[in-house]
Amino acid sequence: MFRNSGICLVAEELWDLLLPKKMAAIANCVRHALVRNACLLRVMLPRTAVVGIQQNHIHTKTWNQFYALHKPSLIQCLTWRQAGQIRHFAEAKPSMDQIRDRVLSVCRAYDKVTADKLTIESHFMNDLGLDSLDHVEVIMAMEDEFGFEIPDTDAEKLVRPADIVRYVADKEDVYD
Amino acid sequence: MSVGTSLYLFSHTQKVCRLYKRALRNLESWYDRREVFRYEAVLLRQRFEENRDVKDMRIAKQLLEKGEQELFEKQHYQPKKFPKSPGGTAYEREVLPPDWVLDYWHPLEKAQYPEYFARRELRKKEFIEMWEKKYGKPPKEEAHH
Repeated sequence: MFRNSGICLVAEELWDLLLPKKMAAIANCVRHALVRNACLLRVMLPRTAVVGIQQNHIHTKTWNQFYALHKPSLIQCLTWRQAGQIRHFAEAKPSMDQIRDRVLSVCRAYDKVTADKLTIESHFMNDLGLDSLDHVEVIMAMEDEFGFEIPDTDAEKLVRPADIVRYVADKEDVYD
Repeated sequence: MSVGTSLYLFSHTQKVCRLYKRALRNLESWYDRREVFRYEAVLLRQRFEENRDVKDMRIAKQLLEKGEQELFEKQHYQPKKFPKSPGGTAYEREVLPPDWVLDYWHPLEKAQYPEYFARRELRKKEFIEMWEKKYGKPPKEEAHH
């Protein structure tokens, strides 16, 4: 206890002695830095300011153009293709109906499928007249649509859109 | 994309389909512009269609082997992978504990969710009933420890 306080006293005295010197040194440092970089500062400061103004200007301009379209939401300004490219993070699980719609729209988009014959229960080979290579292409389109790989052994069993819906729902843990 | 197909377990059609799929995915890795990829894909499909009516299995097998060889020679050095497939960026990112882990919870832990575990016991009983109805009772000597 006693020794500690003694040390403290000594330290305080030392600090008092050193403090003015230290302050002077710090002030010197700052001054030197400013003098050395004054040139740089003179160049950079106005430039950043100008860039800021320009960027603001650009933003207001595009947003004004956007408002000029009189569309209530950004989605409506985009084509379906652009809208598909918007990224959704931590998206909620799709519902069963959404999966069904997506599967059917992918099937419909495949050029060898006649859209009016397509139902959820139609067999790819027997009803729609696809061959096995077409089936492979359809399954690959499904992989691209839902973003996960379908192993070949499973893919061979998915011969109806309904099977694919069920498979995807199982994979994404969706139950109706 | 998928692992190389075994030469004995699958029918010839299956092997050709698998080769076709891997070849398409390989093209997709090489050509990142969609329209260029589609063009190449149509050409590839045409090459498969040319040999559609080969009835002689000996020739068909040779063609398949040639195809595999060509795919091997043209494989991409850094193929595209789905995020959650083996080799993908998010592979095994999310580790889901298997269901049986719940059975090994400490009784005190289980006691915090009495409703759920009561229902779980019921479900297990129903599952065993269902299994026995479908497959019959397991023989005595197969009884597990």
